[in-house]
Amino acid sequence: MSSPSVSAEPKRRKWSRQARHQAISGWAFALPFFLAFCLVFVAPILSAIRSSVFTMKASGGGLFGGGEMEEVFVGLENFQTVATNGAFWSGIGRVFLFGIVQIPIMIGVALLLALLIDSFLVRRPGIWRLSYFLPYAIPGLVAAIVWGYLYIPEVSPFADMLPEIQGSPFFLSPPIVLWSMANMTTWTFTGYNMLIFLAALQAIPGDLYEAARIDGASGWKITTQIKIPMVGSAALLAVLLSIIGTVQLFNEPTVVSTLATWMPKDYTPMMMAYNTMMGLLTPSGAGMASAISILMALIAGSLAVLYFLAQRRLQK
Amino acid sequence: MTFKRYMKAGAMLAVAALGLTACGGDTATTPSPEAPADTTTAPAPVDETTPAEETTPADEPAGEAVQIDYLHRLPDGEGMVPVSEIVQRWNDENPNIQVTATKFDGEAQEMITKLETDVNANNAPCLAQLGYAEVPDMFVKGLVEDVTEEARKYEGDFGGAFGQMAVGDTIVGLPQDSGPLVYLYNATEFENLGIEVPTDSASFIEAAKTAAAEGKYIASFTPDEATYWLSGQAAGAGATWYSAENDQWVVNTTGEETQAVAALWQELLDAEAVATHDRWGDAYGAAMVDGTLIGNIAAAWETGFALDGLDGTEYEGQWRVAQMPAINGSEMTGPNGGSGVAVMKGCEHPAEAMEFNAWFNTQVDDLAQQGLVPAATAPASTPEKMSRQFGGQDVMAELVTANERMSTDFGYIPGFPAVGGEMQTAAAAAANGSGKVADIFEAAQAASIAALEDAGLPVAQS
Repeated sequence: MSSPSVSAEPKRRKWSRQARHQAISGWAFALPFFLAFCLVFVAPILSAIRSSVFTMKASGGGLFGGGEMEEVFVGLENFQTVATNGAFWSGIGRVFLFGIVQIPIMIGVALLLALLIDSFLVRRPGIWRLSYFLPYAIPGLVAAIVWGYLYIPEVSPFADMLPEIQGSPFFLSPPIVLWSMANMTTWTFTGYNMLIFLAALQAIPGDLYEAARIDGASGWKITTQIKIPMVGSAALLAVLLSIIGTVQLFNEPTVVSTLATWMPKDYTPMMMAYNTMMGLLTPSGAGMASAISILMALIAGSLAVLYFLAQRRLQK
Repeated sequence: MTFKRYMKAGAMLAVAALGLTACGGDTATTPSPEAPADTTTAPAPVDETTPAEETTPADEPAGEAVQIDYLHRLPDGEGMVPVSEIVQRWNDENPNIQVTATKFDGEAQEMITKLETDVNANNAPCLAQLGYAEVPDMFVKGLVEDVTEEARKYEGDFGGAFGQMAVGDTIVGLPQDSGPLVYLYNATEFENLGIEVPTDSASFIEAAKTAAAEGKYIASFTPDEATYWLSGQAAGAGATWYSAENDQWVVNTTGEETQAVAALWQELLDAEAVATHDRWGDAYGAAMVDGTLIGNIAAAWETGFALDGLDGTEYEGQWRVAQMPAINGSEMTGPNGGSGVAVMKGCEHPAEAMEFNAWFNTQVDDLAQQGLVPAATAPASTPEKMSRQFGGQDVMAELVTANERMSTDFGYIPGFPAVGGEMQTAAAAAANGSGKVADIFEAAQAASIAALEDAGLPVAQS
């Protein structure tokens, strides 16, 4: 692309045939992507934004509203309702607590595993790599079900040895259930994050190690002074993805809530959005559910930006 | 035994999984309630599982068969006459009205959301199964058709449940089954303990205490089923939670009759005389199998499957059905579930749809096989499996009696599903002792008013 544009520099106003041809074929190749992108990404977002500023109200009067509902424009009222709802912020609080504890543990373990596999201590790294990654390849729901088996005392090999708390089985009791879910998430995503680290580690040029060895660095020194600093950007990516994933916590609590019925329908913000849509929470409806989703997207986005900025400042 | 337990837990988790996967499919089609309705194209089949053989364009020339789609949630379990077979019989006899039945695999609430999306996109099925408590909600949202005139023609074939498909003066479909609360108990165990089947609150408490002293429970307080289980008991005690005055809703979920229900369970819980297993958790079935749970107040439709776990155990054939004990001195029982088949908005052939609807819901023996207590007045015979599990008792006759004792004054409000969630959370607290049973009904009061106001409906301020 660059070389013809340089040759076309003098008469810039008119594209050469070749440049035009290239532009057309370039856009033609990209078109399927843009179409699909608009259809499955942009359109739903626009539709959600539109929906979030409307609400459905009975219009016909009488006890049953005459069987008619009309869409009423309410501006930012839905957002206001969500933002002043205590249950929404308790949900955020739970997710936040979850992330503060679970993400460092998961990232730490993932880094450790990646360093071990990357070192020369491990034989047949391929097998280890695959087996650590395997939980991620298992669909999240299946994983949640497998862990469900381990948490219900009736079928679990060990859960009935643990005491009941507040009338619920140990793993499903109010103080513990968040960590039962954290355990499921950690199990699933540690291998995935490990792969990110491993890819970064293997991209480190070998001559760096060689030079370090010649200078007399020990294996420990190489790990702490070269390897870990060199995977900083991979850590940034892994943590960012984890933050976003945690904000969207849904599968685990939804499966677990079928086992622990004390869990409220708005335990996490994503569950709240879903149950609002399903009419299982008041206020209900698509407008309110969209407002929750958009607010969560904004919160996740700002968290990611904040983390990114903090990380950059630290690295300077 | 353990294998069976695994199977049960597996089935439960599979349901949870289905629920989730179904939601995954939904979210893609979510928000805009005003999805452009393309009326020029023929209504799309309900989903890809609809048999292709019977789909013809909707704009068929006159004289050709009318196509009716019917979406249901019936169990279609092993040993039952499948819905498709019943429908096939209709199709063979009625070449002009061809029905395609599709089973919805997922939770009731997800089916409602699907129907809402489908109606707005003009490709909803003509007929769909709706829980009685969902009917007002669907009507308010403008998702069901007014078929009052058609329905009146078939009124004689159906009992009291006919009114459950009415919203004010408008009738939107026909009833299918009803779920009066009854009392299930293990007669042999009762005899061994020397207790009688309780007939009122006092004898219920006494019997529970006697049994609990021997490590047996004659009931389980089930937080996950609190919504309909407790509102049904309140109805049985004579309560009317929702009524109308001057065209405004009057909400009263904490009246004297309901307090009697709260007092009963509070005393039983305080005395630790009842179990607190969730109805749909593994502990409930396990307690039945190990013989510690020997009775409970249950919906009539539970007789279709509640004892499956006991087949082949020493308790097989020992259980019986009796009427729900009278609470607050009221000889009535109340509804826990039950559904009808409603005509969806946009149905092009409501008359033909209702013709099938009436026929289908009077096939009482087939419906009884599906584990339902048919709403039609024609007597259904007790299926063989049920007869075996209940030691030869004429279960259907007992359930019909329960049906006749059902409170006719108890209706639901639009938005009732949202009330349920609040009740369940409060019930879980009551079960573990961190809350009171009365709190459940306080929660229902607040949630009901909030749900009505959210829908923009008039609520009387008390």
